[in-house]
Amino acid sequence: MTGLREQRPADRVLEMTLDGEPVKFTEGETIYEVAERHRKDVPTLCYDPRLEAFGACRLCVVEVEGVRNPVASCTTPATDGMIVKTRTAILEKHRKTLLELVVSENRNVEVDELSGYASQELTELVDRYEARTGRFAGKQSGTTNDADRNPFILRDYDNCISCYRCVRVCAEQEGDYAISVMNRGFATQITAEFGRDLRDSQCTFCGQCVQTCPTGALGDKKALRDAETPGEVRKTRSICPYCGVGCSVDLLTKGEKLVGVLPAMDGPANEGALCVKGQYAFDFVQNADRLGKPLIRRDDGELHECEWDEALDFAANGFKEAIAKHGRRSVYGVASGRAPHEAAYTMQKFIRAGCGTNYIDNCSRA
Amino acid sequence: MPSPSDQELIGRWKGEPAPLLPLLHAFHDRDGWLTDEALAAVAAGLRIPIADLYGTVTFYHHFSRQPPGKAAPRVCTGNVCGLNGGRELLAALEGDGATPMPCAGRCDDMVPVIVGDRALVGTSAESLVHRATPLPAPNPGGREECVFAGIREPGRATLAGYRKSGGYAALEKAVGGMSPSGVVEVLTASKLAGRGGAGFPTGVKWKAVAEAAGDPKCIVCNADEGEPGCFKDRALMDHDPFAVIEGMTLAAYARGARVGLIYLRYEYPETVGILEGAIGEARAAGMLGGDILGSGMRFDLHVRRGAGAYICGEEGSLLNSLEGKHPFPRNKPPYPVTHGFNNKPTVVNNVETLASVPPIVARGADWYRDLGEGEHAGTKVICLSGDIRRPGNYEVPIGIPLRTLLDEWAGGPGEGRSIQAVTMAGLSGGFLAGEDLEVTLDEPCIRAKGSFLGAGGIIVFDDRRDMVRAAHDAMEFFAHESCGKCFPCRIGTQRITERLNGGTGALSLDAWLAEIADIGETMKATSACGLGLAAPLVTDSLVRYFPEQVAAHVENAAAGPA
Repeated sequence: MTGLREQRPADRVLEMTLDGEPVKFTEGETIYEVAERHRKDVPTLCYDPRLEAFGACRLCVVEVEGVRNPVASCTTPATDGMIVKTRTAILEKHRKTLLELVVSENRNVEVDELSGYASQELTELVDRYEARTGRFAGKQSGTTNDADRNPFILRDYDNCISCYRCVRVCAEQEGDYAISVMNRGFATQITAEFGRDLRDSQCTFCGQCVQTCPTGALGDKKALRDAETPGEVRKTRSICPYCGVGCSVDLLTKGEKLVGVLPAMDGPANEGALCVKGQYAFDFVQNADRLGKPLIRRDDGELHECEWDEALDFAANGFKEAIAKHGRRSVYGVASGRAPHEAAYTMQKFIRAGCGTNYIDNCSRA
Repeated sequence: MPSPSDQELIGRWKGEPAPLLPLLHAFHDRDGWLTDEALAAVAAGLRIPIADLYGTVTFYHHFSRQPPGKAAPRVCTGNVCGLNGGRELLAALEGDGATPMPCAGRCDDMVPVIVGDRALVGTSAESLVHRATPLPAPNPGGREECVFAGIREPGRATLAGYRKSGGYAALEKAVGGMSPSGVVEVLTASKLAGRGGAGFPTGVKWKAVAEAAGDPKCIVCNADEGEPGCFKDRALMDHDPFAVIEGMTLAAYARGARVGLIYLRYEYPETVGILEGAIGEARAAGMLGGDILGSGMRFDLHVRRGAGAYICGEEGSLLNSLEGKHPFPRNKPPYPVTHGFNNKPTVVNNVETLASVPPIVARGADWYRDLGEGEHAGTKVICLSGDIRRPGNYEVPIGIPLRTLLDEWAGGPGEGRSIQAVTMAGLSGGFLAGEDLEVTLDEPCIRAKGSFLGAGGIIVFDDRRDMVRAAHDAMEFFAHESCGKCFPCRIGTQRITERLNGGTGALSLDAWLAEIADIGETMKATSACGLGLAAPLVTDSLVRYFPEQVAAHVENAAAGPA
């Protein structure tokens, strides 16, 4: 796939006609991108704005004057003077037929919204086009791989529509190339190397594939634990508490319970990406074993709750005693990778200026 | 001789153009099938992600992943052989691990069976023999030919025989006294158009590549003759390989290209040796290489063998396949003339197109244009097969009546039979029947009937044949070969096949027809490549010409399995 986005000198302003209105665009924009800017709401299933346009689902076809067949707007560059119609009776009929075909090969159109960020896309389009007609009945494609023993990613390819967004996000965004397309035609199937489980592949469990899946064929196993938990799913914007990158996340809660994490597509640091920790390692938040107060191990050998002033004094005395007894090089500091710059700076100041040694490191370096 | 190590094989191919397919074939030949270890070695050697390589290998149906692998017979059960003993032969060879393959391009001499790298033919397990590709019969109409003009000359497949019968006169003429743009002008004036089926004017394509920026430019010969009922390129390559090589060299001269690749379908195993032998002879004689005909022109050729995927005849898929990528068609624009092999300006031309070039350059544009009937320019090879007395390759003047070819040249249908229908463009043009058999063999006339001439395959069905079954077999082929990228083709070919095999249960005739029509309309309007755009012509023409057979089929399907 040659990169339309790579060859984009965004300076010349050109004009085309979109549904009868003159609109401006810059060289290199696709028809779909221009149409999106003008809120034409052209339907898609294989499109993800972060990925190279692929042209598989054909729902985004539009009519271009002078061209016999409709063209896929996602892969067709807009050109000066082009006259485009995004919604005609014929186009809408093709879109409905395409969606009826998709419904006919898919087992479940309804999936829990906890499956993933894009999991409701197919359901919404099928409802918009009233495509649950039962026409085109026949064999269903895809074979579930829900026996994959990983704890994070549900692989229920019974619900796969072969848009390959998962394969493309894994290659183009994450650079893992852990999954690919095997076989061809109706027998097409998403696979890891040699059909293995994900944990025996190059997968890093970042969850990007789950979040871009438009049908819930790939699902968030951890969030889906709470599919039956009563209550509405609420989203709260936050920042991932792990490393210093500061990825934006939307925390999913039901009542008082944190049930899952979504990457924020508009997060300035991550633009929809997360790693395995930010995506899946949130169980500590409401874990019963989580510390609520400082603990000091007293002379009886047991840990006892105390107040912060006492705990800090106790720790400071410990450092002082160690330095007095064994010298300044008896202290070695390892800052947490979860600490932001300011905290990491304070930590090294404490070790260098406070303890008088350069024995300072950070766990992110490992 | 000890078998080569993984590293020796990788070292042999790593620096060559388009290394993945030949490297996979090298492992396939050595081990008999592609083991996990072989794939891991290839992935590491060529720096391809292992999951990508695994997925891509499964796309090609002639790469085996387990024993008996390459040694097991592959038996043609294609659209012609399937009606003429292919399935029975497959059953007879089941004990040897035989598996079916779609049309293997030998419809004039059935039934082809590939065992290892040998192509056998026969109609029973006992009668399988090795036979050379049939030579086209002398033109039955006594008409002057272009690509077949020299093919029957003795020794034509050797360099000496080729030169003796006029070969390389065109290249000498071009290099000696024509400018590259002069060659393009001759091609443009001749009105030669792509003979692989798309019919794009050859001169226009060449000019676009000549003018495109980027180096090295590439010439690709599309010899992935996968369309069922087509076997002309096989005859040309086996009996006149130097014509293809000279055509490619002329193309290189006209466009400033230095690299040439021949993408040959897997099902022609013996053609590999014929082409490579001819390329070696040409190179040794200074007709290829660093100083062609002493002119300083540089151009060399490489044969790359496919592995069983019809879609690789689509130029975007073909280029992806050469580049070692998953062979999905490419989105256009950009087109190969600016962004082709390795993103460089590339022309993809069919074998017949390229073989037409030397005679046209040698004898002139007017000569070629005048070979056509009336207003039509030039000739076209028609591959005639099925229920006809003399199947074979016929070079016809464009514009002659189909009936002339069927009845006068090829002897008509068998004794006491009549022709019920013919296919056009192999299978891709669907059927012509009834009064529409009175067409002339040119695109304007055939397109007016909702079909197209395409690559020139015509399969004849006489009055014994069940046309719903014929349509089913055609659609099953398209479903089998659909790449799986675009939704309308991937699901549509499957759904139409199901409706033609009677597995849809109690649909009323009206509902059946409406479903077929709606799927077909959407496929024809929205599919991403020619496969999905053309496949519904099969059902369109079935419903148009054979409504009674369709009604009976739907009624039987509704009544349940017999």
